[in-house]
Amino acid sequence: MMKRLAHELSLEGQPGAFAASLMNSSADLVARASSGDQEAFRLIFERYSRPVISFIFDLVSDRSLAEELTQETFVRAFRNLHALRQETKLSTWLFGIAKNVARESLRARARDSRRVELDDKAVLDLSDKGPVPVNQLLNKELNELIQRSLAMLDDDKRLVFTLKIFQQCSYEEIADITGFSISKLKTDLHRARSEMRRRISPYVRL
Amino acid sequence: MKCDDCLNQLAEYIDGEVVAHEAERISAHLINCAGCSSEFESLTAEQEIFARYDRELEISPAMWSAIQARTVSECRPVDSSPKFNARSWVAGLFALPRLGFAFSGALAVVIIAVVVGVMYLKTHQQTATPETVAGNYKQIVPPVSQAGGAVPSVTPTAPVEEPFKESVSQRKTPKGTRRPTRPDDPGVLFNDVAYSDLAERDTAEHIQQAENLLRSIRSLQSSDDDGEIDVSYEKAMSQRLLSENQVLRRDAEAAGKFPAKELLGDLEPFLIDISNLPDKATPDKLRALKDRVQKTEIVAALVSY
Repeated sequence: MMKRLAHELSLEGQPGAFAASLMNSSADLVARASSGDQEAFRLIFERYSRPVISFIFDLVSDRSLAEELTQETFVRAFRNLHALRQETKLSTWLFGIAKNVARESLRARARDSRRVELDDKAVLDLSDKGPVPVNQLLNKELNELIQRSLAMLDDDKRLVFTLKIFQQCSYEEIADITGFSISKLKTDLHRARSEMRRRISPYVRL
Repeated sequence: MKCDDCLNQLAEYIDGEVVAHEAERISAHLINCAGCSSEFESLTAEQEIFARYDRELEISPAMWSAIQARTVSECRPVDSSPKFNARSWVAGLFALPRLGFAFSGALAVVIIAVVVGVMYLKTHQQTATPETVAGNYKQIVPPVSQAGGAVPSVTPTAPVEEPFKESVSQRKTPKGTRRPTRPDDPGVLFNDVAYSDLAERDTAEHIQQAENLLRSIRSLQSSDDDGEIDVSYEKAMSQRLLSENQVLRRDAEAAGKFPAKELLGDLEPFLIDISNLPDKATPDKLRALKDRVQKTEIVAALVSY
């Protein structure tokens, strides 16, 4: 009973959403898509494309590359749907593919030419008045600040930070996606948080 | 608990990753320690900043087309079971003995029916009043019983996402709190003007969801006295609402909407505590939480918002 209520709650009060969601649960969609149902796979794409492209963008810091790699992620997912184990969450599995695709791409490119060339002293030329409350920072400035700070993290830290902070994965899910031990990912996350804070604090008053 | 212990676990506590008894100890310590409490505030403020991150990414229709083009050739036929085919059914009706004549006749009947229908509609058409339109689109919230059950509606709707941790940056937009970005948009975040009706509506929606969550928690019951209760879903939902709550509370504060800010501030400890529950909560733990919900009358406060 509670499960059902909880499910209803998550659907933000949309009438009939419960029934519809049963018909389109991830397991159902995966089963249909792996038997060749394109419509089911389109629904999977609609459901997960946004988090996947955001995740990839955070890793590669390049908009058009992120689009290209998102396509590649879903194509690979389609080809390997039969290999998805029942107990694995679809989102975790997709993030795992996306991570591999992004890492392959990064390896293939000359990183030094791609990575943002900035030093810690000047992430952005935002303000000469010291840190300001976040409300006074322009959207664009804040986005750029976060994006560039993120790009300066090393690969492992960026990966863990993105999955935890932006995708809100649990430690267990992050461990599944990355293959890292819980203790490593905790350390990486702690360091990533500290670095991000250090880079953002000159501009934004926390 | 010592401050060092608390500070070491604070980030995990906010992430809902500490075990339940530790979460309780941290909660208790935060109430009594100004230093740790201030660090807690800084960390939540930091989370809010990240929650505002907008990559401004679009999923273009071309992306799906490209994927489809690459995968369609690999598709096997979906379903070989016979399907209802309206066309052949209609053709079947008129199949004997002279299809051409029968089909023409049927077509004529359909055309006449359509013409009559259109004329009927024209003569009986009523102008829809705003009230009737609003009535038609009034959102139906599933009724929640005291036993914690909801009556599932059977009205079919478009496919809906199952619980999925949507990126905070997409969710952060508790819808409407961010104005669309335009090249000439000054882009100032959340000033008084920006805290518009939309933001109030988002707050109201958020509060409605929190109310439902708390009602759900309040009515959770174990099947036997010693049995643990699965609250994993409530926990996940609480984590989602917690992020929203932090953003909305700050927005309300920035806009000088102090009643909303206070209410969201009162709600936040509950969301944190639910987020930090173990997936299988013990009846004692749950009872303590329920008692707090009851005593503080937070649900009533949410309802009266």
